[in-house]
Amino acid sequence: MSLPRTVWNTVKSLVVGHAVTAREIATRPITVFYPEEKPEFPTGSRSVPVLKVNEESGYINCTSCGLCERTCPPGCIEITQAVDPATNKKKPWPHLYTLDLSHCMVCNLCVEACPFDALEMLDVPELATYQVQDLKFHKEQLLDLWKTGKAIRIAEGQPMPSK
Amino acid sequence: MASTSTTAGEQAPGLQSQLMTLNLGPQHPSTHGVLRVVVTLDGEEVVEAQPDIGYLHRNFEKIVEGWALPGVVPFSDRNDYLAAIANEVCVCDAIETLGEVELPDRAKWLRVLFAELQRIISHELWYGAFGMDLGAFTPFLYGFRDRETGYLLMEKATGARMLYAYNRIGGLRNDVTDAWLKELEGYLDFMEKQAFPEYMKLLIENEIFVMRTKGTGQLTREQAIAWGASGPVLRSTGLPWDLRKKRPYLVYDQLEFDVPTGTNGDNYDRAMVRMLEIKESIKIIRQVLRRLPDGPVLAKARAAVRPRVGEYYARQESPRGEVGVHLVSNGRPNAYRLKWRAPTFSHLQLVPLMCRGVKMADMIANLGSLDIVMGEVDR
Ligand code: SF4
Ligand code: SF4
Repeated sequence: MSLPRTVWNTVKSLVVGHAVTAREIATRPITVFYPEEKPEFPTGSRSVPVLKVNEESGYINCTSCGLCERTCPPGCIEITQAVDPATNKKKPWPHLYTLDLSHCMVCNLCVEACPFDALEMLDVPELATYQVQDLKFHKEQLLDLWKTGKAIRIAEGQPMPSK
Repeated sequence: MASTSTTAGEQAPGLQSQLMTLNLGPQHPSTHGVLRVVVTLDGEEVVEAQPDIGYLHRNFEKIVEGWALPGVVPFSDRNDYLAAIANEVCVCDAIETLGEVELPDRAKWLRVLFAELQRIISHELWYGAFGMDLGAFTPFLYGFRDRETGYLLMEKATGARMLYAYNRIGGLRNDVTDAWLKELEGYLDFMEKQAFPEYMKLLIENEIFVMRTKGTGQLTREQAIAWGASGPVLRSTGLPWDLRKKRPYLVYDQLEFDVPTGTNGDNYDRAMVRMLEIKESIKIIRQVLRRLPDGPVLAKARAAVRPRVGEYYARQESPRGEVGVHLVSNGRPNAYRLKWRAPTFSHLQLVPLMCRGVKMADMIANLGSLDIVMGEVDR
């Protein structure tokens, strides 16, 4: 291609390009100064699976069956079943229930595996901590989280498919 | 270009040029992830470029041998994290074939829909990043603007932005709503009417872009085949090899679309093929939206997947090329062996070949045009 033609084409494409960007002058800036300013978090993103409280009974639904522990691919759930100290009999609730969120890949498989509807996936946007061990949640912490966060019903208000 | 021998350039007599070794990466904004390229430079000319991989190795293939198969699906998202659905669909295909799980119709169509939406999003990201590689910052903002809208759509349907964990063995975890499908249609309209022409005007039709990319990073068809290239890299050399057409899976045989190809196999053709693929994907999604059947999205009896003894190689067309899952099963709930074929692993091996004798800035362009995702290369 001859030089004048190249120069002409270059100038033309610069003008065309700037014509596209010039339109942005009229639009409002969308920058949000996080964390001073909170953006509107998108709803419906999975962030942490937690134990939930049964509204009727006021207790957790978990029977310590261990299915979620076995389902979880990276193995971040750890359950110790409660034992009656007097009779040494096992009780149908967890003594300890630990979720290591630092390993969790938020895949939702545990929630789907639980046959007692004891787990719920929450939508809590800010869970970052400075220490990795702070991401290990115990039973009580999970319940606290459950109280603060809101459960997500994936796909815009649709209930999760029942098993 | 490939046969160019290393020339020291013309030098004034008495001036010695010295070779210099430069580490590009592993933390460098132009290397697309944690890729390290050891570049030997003669002035500004690249004498040799050796990619050094493994910085993002997570031992995927070994870890999943110990996991029950349903857990492999969400983990496979982490391979090509820019096109997670493509991974999921491929690994699900392998498991479902060996496990003899029948997919419901709606799930098949929805998988196509999501795979194509993912292709659009992935190419948008590539568009932005490629512009950056060539020194144009504006296209990056435009590409990422639309990618964000796409991710929000994905998030509404699947519950996550990038790592969806959306496919299950035997279908999809949840259905999509009609409102979501409406929104998706709006996104497609926007992409077609506004965003796509903008992309073309901002970068692809720009004279500087054309001059920078035409004739650089050229590959012949034989080279591309010999090095195991696939996807846009192979198609840009003129070979219309697209697994969606050649080995139709899901419902691709019922859909109408073209396979864009290039002629020269240079950076420009690769860019052009990807841009046209966005258009084709939009076309496919529109057809899916029109013909989406009703019904369940998840097959029953999926609780315990026990694949039969045997092996199967599932291959699918991801935005970057042929993703393959070779699953060997000995009848247990976990895989005996799972081999992942990553398209960009092969593409990365082209870098020494493509970059010999080119200018440093062109080397970055060559790298960018291959669309490399290190998560997939290193696994
Ligand atoms: S979401 Fe997945 S990774 Fe996390 S605890 Fe549940 S099963 Fe395990
Ligand atoms: S599967 Fe449900 S009931 Fe069983 S241990 Fe886990 S949370 Fe508890």
